[in-house]
Amino acid sequence: MSEPDDPRWLSEISDELREEVPVRAAWRSRLLDDVARSRRPALGDTYDDRIDDTGAAIAEATPRRRRIVLTPIASVAAALLFAALGAGVTYVALSGRNANTLAPIASASRDSATRTTTTLVSTQTPADRETVRFALSAPNASRVALVGSFNEWNPIATPLVRDPATGTWMVSLRLPPGRHVYAFVVDGDVTADPAAPRAADDDFGSANSVVLVTGNAS
Amino acid sequence: MRWHAGFNSVPMTDATLVRQVLQGDTAAFTLLVDRHAAACTRFAMRMLGNREDAEDATQESFLRAYRSLARYEERQAFRTWLFQILVNRCRTAAVRRQRRQRMFLVDDNAVASASVRPLADSTELRAELQRAIGRLDPEQREAFLLKHVEQLSYDEMAEATGVSVSALKMRVKRACDRLQWLLRENGEGEVSDVGT
Repeated sequence: MSEPDDPRWLSEISDELREEVPVRAAWRSRLLDDVARSRRPALGDTYDDRIDDTGAAIAEATPRRRRIVLTPIASVAAALLFAALGAGVTYVALSGRNANTLAPIASASRDSATRTTTTLVSTQTPADRETVRFALSAPNASRVALVGSFNEWNPIATPLVRDPATGTWMVSLRLPPGRHVYAFVVDGDVTADPAAPRAADDDFGSANSVVLVTGNAS
Repeated sequence: MRWHAGFNSVPMTDATLVRQVLQGDTAAFTLLVDRHAAACTRFAMRMLGNREDAEDATQESFLRAYRSLARYEERQAFRTWLFQILVNRCRTAAVRRQRRQRMFLVDDNAVASASVRPLADSTELRAELQRAIGRLDPEQREAFLLKHVEQLSYDEMAEATGVSVSALKMRVKRACDRLQWLLRENGEGEVSDVGT
C-alpha cells in the first residue's frame, strides 16, 4: 500500500474495502422466508410502523390535515358553540389565574451538582400530541442527543441544542400519549436521565428513563 | 416469473421489479435481494464491524423495504432508497450494541491478526483498514463508506442520510484525514480496539 500521504492511498484502501462480502445462503434463505411470510405490499399502501425510515424524523412529523366542510346552518351552529366555549374558557382562566390552574400537566425537576435534567410536559397540541421539553445540563459536553422509543434509538435523529449561557442542552418534541422510554447520548455515552423515573425493564441491561404523556391537559 | 421475459429480454430495472412486486409478482423481490444484498451486507459490516449485526441490520432493512414498497418513488434510485433504510438500521444497531456495552470488534480475521505487522497480504491490509475504519467517528465512518466504498454521489448520500451535502463533504474530509493519521499511527505504534 502506498504511504498515507500519497494520494493513491485513498483509491487503494477504497478498493480494499470494496471487496465483496459474500452473502451466506442460509441468511438469504431465511430472509426470503421472512419476506414470504410478510404481508404482501400493494399499490396504494400507506404502511407506517411508526419508524419512519423513509421519511422525516418522527419528532418533526406533521399531523395529517383533515378538511371539514360545513353547511351554512352547521356553520352558524358551530360559531355559536365556539363563542360559548370561548366565553367559558375565558372565565375559567381569569378566575383561576392566581391558583395556578394553568400549570404544566406534569413536571419533574431535580438539581444536581454536575448535571441537572428537567423534563417538562407542557402544552397539548391540536393533534393530540404534547410538547415535551428535554433538558440536560452538561456544560462540558460537545454533543448531546436524545434517543428513545419515539425515534427508534437513532442517535442522530434528535440532537439537543446547547444554551451557551447556561450550558444546558435542550430539545422539544411533540409526543403522542403513552409511555416513552428514552436516554441521552452525551459525547457517545448513553446516559439515563437522572431526574426522571427509570424504566422498569431494559432489553439490554442498561437503565433508561421514562416520560409519561397523558394526552389530557386538564 | 415475469422478470425472465425471454431470451432477448433486457435486464429489468429496479423500478420495474418494484412495480411487479406491487402488482402481485412477489418473486420479483428475490431479484432485488440478489442485486443489493451483497452491497448492503458489506456496508453494514464495515459500519458495525461484525457479520452477525450486519446480517441482522440488512435483513431488517430488506423486510422494511418490502413492507413499505408502495412508498418507494421512482424518481429516487431504489439502491439509494434502500440505503436510506439501511443507514438508519445501522445507526440503531450501533446504539443498541453500545447499550450492551460490547466492544467494537472487526471480525474474526481482524481480531486474529490484530497485532500482526508489517502487512504481508491483502487480508492483513483489509483487517488493518477495518480496524482503522472502526476507530472513526460513526458519522464520519458512515459518510466515508457511502462515498468511497458504496460510491454514492453526495446528493444520493444526502437522501440516504438526511444530512446536508456540505456537512457530508466535511465528514468525508475529516474521515480521510483521520484515516491517514490512523494508518500512519499503526505503522509506528500499538493500535487498540475502541468502542463505537
